[in-house]
Amino acid sequence: MVKTYVVTSGKGGVGKTTISATLGAALAAKGDKVCLIDADIGLKNLDLILGLENRVVHTILDVVNGKVTALESLVRHKQMKNLFLLAASQIATKEMLSPDDMRRIVAELYPKFDFIIIDSPAGIERGFRNAVAAAEGALVVTTPELPAITDADRVIGLLENAGMAEDDIRLIINRFKPNMVKRGDMLTKDDIQENLAIELLGIVPDSEDVIVATNTGNPITLNGNQEHAIAQVFSNIALRLKGEMISLEKDLVYGGPRGFREFFRRIFGRN
Amino acid sequence: MMFFGLFRRKKRAHSRKEAKDRLDSIVTGRRRSVPVQEVIPAELLKSSETDVVTQIKGYVAQRFKVKEENVKVQFEEHNGYVVIITNVVFH
Repeated sequence: MVKTYVVTSGKGGVGKTTISATLGAALAAKGDKVCLIDADIGLKNLDLILGLENRVVHTILDVVNGKVTALESLVRHKQMKNLFLLAASQIATKEMLSPDDMRRIVAELYPKFDFIIIDSPAGIERGFRNAVAAAEGALVVTTPELPAITDADRVIGLLENAGMAEDDIRLIINRFKPNMVKRGDMLTKDDIQENLAIELLGIVPDSEDVIVATNTGNPITLNGNQEHAIAQVFSNIALRLKGEMISLEKDLVYGGPRGFREFFRRIFGRN
Repeated sequence: MMFFGLFRRKKRAHSRKEAKDRLDSIVTGRRRSVPVQEVIPAELLKSSETDVVTQIKGYVAQRFKVKEENVKVQFEEHNGYVVIITNVVFH
């Protein structure tokens, strides 16, 4: 079973880091020992989303420079004791790390973890190649918009050309808005999947709660949030990664914003 | 009349169809799988780099009737691939 995944997209701002953190927390909530690696050197955010920014002592650059081992550099999550972070450096650049460095780091961590999730930077240059180098599989994140989908298509092509098996490249659609799809104003999951032609691993509906979770540094899948609809979606994705057959329709149970504001917007909304 | 106009929803075409058509035209055929035999190992290039440069310079110089020193051949790595870039200086 594939256990080292790179979370990538090509386009920036589609939610790679949030998905890396939330999915990592979802896997950890199921009892797996998970290591998250922030490969977005110079523009690191994974520690912020996990609420660990004040606990980082060593970064991936310290490992590359031989100051500490990869295992010594890990930060354990304050609530989930089986969730770890290898933080990126804010002051370094992507050129200070090579694909071989990443392979060496992952090789050290590999026997100690059930899953290793590498958060890739946007783009398809050096940072992307570093992040992909040691991954056995890829989770390609896109939003249902043309620029994100076409960039995802480019990234899938690069991953395949780099030798990654097609079955190990899987798609996550983020910020999906079922209400817009119903109105005929958003591409459907089938439209996207048909064009990208890879397995769809999950559909994450758009949710303000994810922003709130980021504000507080507590991924929505952390303890206490398990019953939340979005947490359920990530739980489904985690189970699918572990090989379970969970229907994709279960991700769409959460239909987006409801209530008075949405009700009045639909009646009085002028297009 | 103005009051009722507030509640009237203007009909417009749904954008999903247009997005789908545009996506189809952009993505279709863009990502093709590269058969393994098309990918040449990088080591093969390294071992014959000088020879490749000499041959390209010779061909381009002859083809465009320019001096060989005006033909520049560079090897650059882009997205994991080595690209051979040839610059010809025309007067």
